[in-house]
Amino acid sequence: MQLLSGDARRAVFAPLDDGALRSEAVVRRVGSAIALGLLADGEQLPTETDLATMLNVSTVTLREALAELRKLGLVETRRGRGGGSFVRSQEDVLAELADARLAELGTTDLRELGDVHSAAAAAAARLAASRASRTEIARLRDIVDRLASAGSVTGQRRTDGRYYIELAASAQSVRLTMQEMDLHLELGQLPWPPAHAPGLLDVIVAGHRAVIDAIEDRDAARARALTESHIETRTLWAIELRLQRLDELAALQREVS
Amino acid sequence: MTPGGAEEVARVAAAVSDLVEQVFVTVARVHEAALRSIEREGPRAARWLLPDDVQELLRAPGQLAVGLGLVVAPRPAEGLPLRLEWWQVDPDGGELHTLEPDLRPTSLGYYDYTATEWYDVPRRTGRRHVFGPHVDVHGTGRYVLTLTEPVGAGNGFVGVAGADVPVRRFETHLLRTLGRLPAPFVLLNDEDRVVLSTAPRHLVGSLLPPAAGSTEGVRVPGAPWRLRLVDDGQLLAG
Repeated sequence: MQLLSGDARRAVFAPLDDGALRSEAVVRRVGSAIALGLLADGEQLPTETDLATMLNVSTVTLREALAELRKLGLVETRRGRGGGSFVRSQEDVLAELADARLAELGTTDLRELGDVHSAAAAAAARLAASRASRTEIARLRDIVDRLASAGSVTGQRRTDGRYYIELAASAQSVRLTMQEMDLHLELGQLPWPPAHAPGLLDVIVAGHRAVIDAIEDRDAARARALTESHIETRTLWAIELRLQRLDELAALQREVS
Repeated sequence: MTPGGAEEVARVAAAVSDLVEQVFVTVARVHEAALRSIEREGPRAARWLLPDDVQELLRAPGQLAVGLGLVVAPRPAEGLPLRLEWWQVDPDGGELHTLEPDLRPTSLGYYDYTATEWYDVPRRTGRRHVFGPHVDVHGTGRYVLTLTEPVGAGNGFVGVAGADVPVRRFETHLLRTLGRLPAPFVLLNDEDRVVLSTAPRHLVGSLLPPAAGSTEGVRVPGAPWRLRLVDDGQLLAG
């Protein structure tokens, strides 16, 4: 198969950093790539050997990951001519995977992820105020309009990611753009808050619009501060969701005993 | 402006113009190859219009472009999807690769090229265009200038032929060509974005605030760019 060379896809198949990798990291990476639409329903994955090389994992680890993905129903393997591993996009499975990931993480992990995202996105917003052209500002507005009307969780997540990536591009920074792509592959492994509380989508949309207004006013300090406070809010949502789950689990255990 | 400043600006403008023309010579070769192929076979979806040897233009001595090709106009009614016939030099190994961006609208990484100015301006105006500097997000992922011209055949617009020049490479070549630097200047595109600057306070990619320059600027022939001398105090003087 022909591998796409788009830069977001580069991130999907980039080596997983630490050598001591577990197959779950591969499962999470593939899961978030499906959630973000980077791997499409019905798409064929590279061969096991190629995939193992790209992700820098052993073939044994990769096979474990593929077995898990098959069990989850996110990958289907066909034998024989034209066979191989194919992607199956299923929103309910992706949501379960995201919940499981959230349960694994501590609140400090969520804070760390929010801290880095805030640093990158707030810098991008500040720079965009002095660098984004009118066309780029119009494009950002267009993305947020599409976010406001996106129907599915996948559509909302993807469009939100495009907003941050485009913000970094309009700041004229290749490095910040790549950083945003990598961050969204991680953020894509977590639950999407509006899936649990639909009203939150309005908060996200209003937050992005306020930042774009500041960029258009060429007010760098405001663009930065608004981005920081919006991402902080989102970090708090993730932490709250994490603690709620813990509480629900405790309640469940009390019932059982 | 120092005495003779006008001559200096004209010298820089001519050098910029020459570099731009040099890249458009390559774009014209791509354009011609595409037209020859269309005349022979018609704009078909199944295979590339550009013959394989077009990529060799990237290996020509002194080539500024690191990517080139044809970006095809989609015609959904005729079953012609979004398509790029684009080669690029691998930044690490120097090998040539085809660019295979993600062309599915449902993807986070969707390369929506019909919305870009390097595609849309030639399509609308029927004229060539120089776009950038821009982060070619979801495409090459590089910081480039994209030079394009429309390709038309019998029944209308077929797409754009174009080439990418990394901003760094453009800067290095131009400054080397100029030798002795004139008074601090900025090269601005049609959005007032700095394409190149010899004044450290004016960073490439930033937008020049309306009142920052001392003159309105000199047009650069063949590109939607202007050159302006700027006041720039020394930062390293201490």
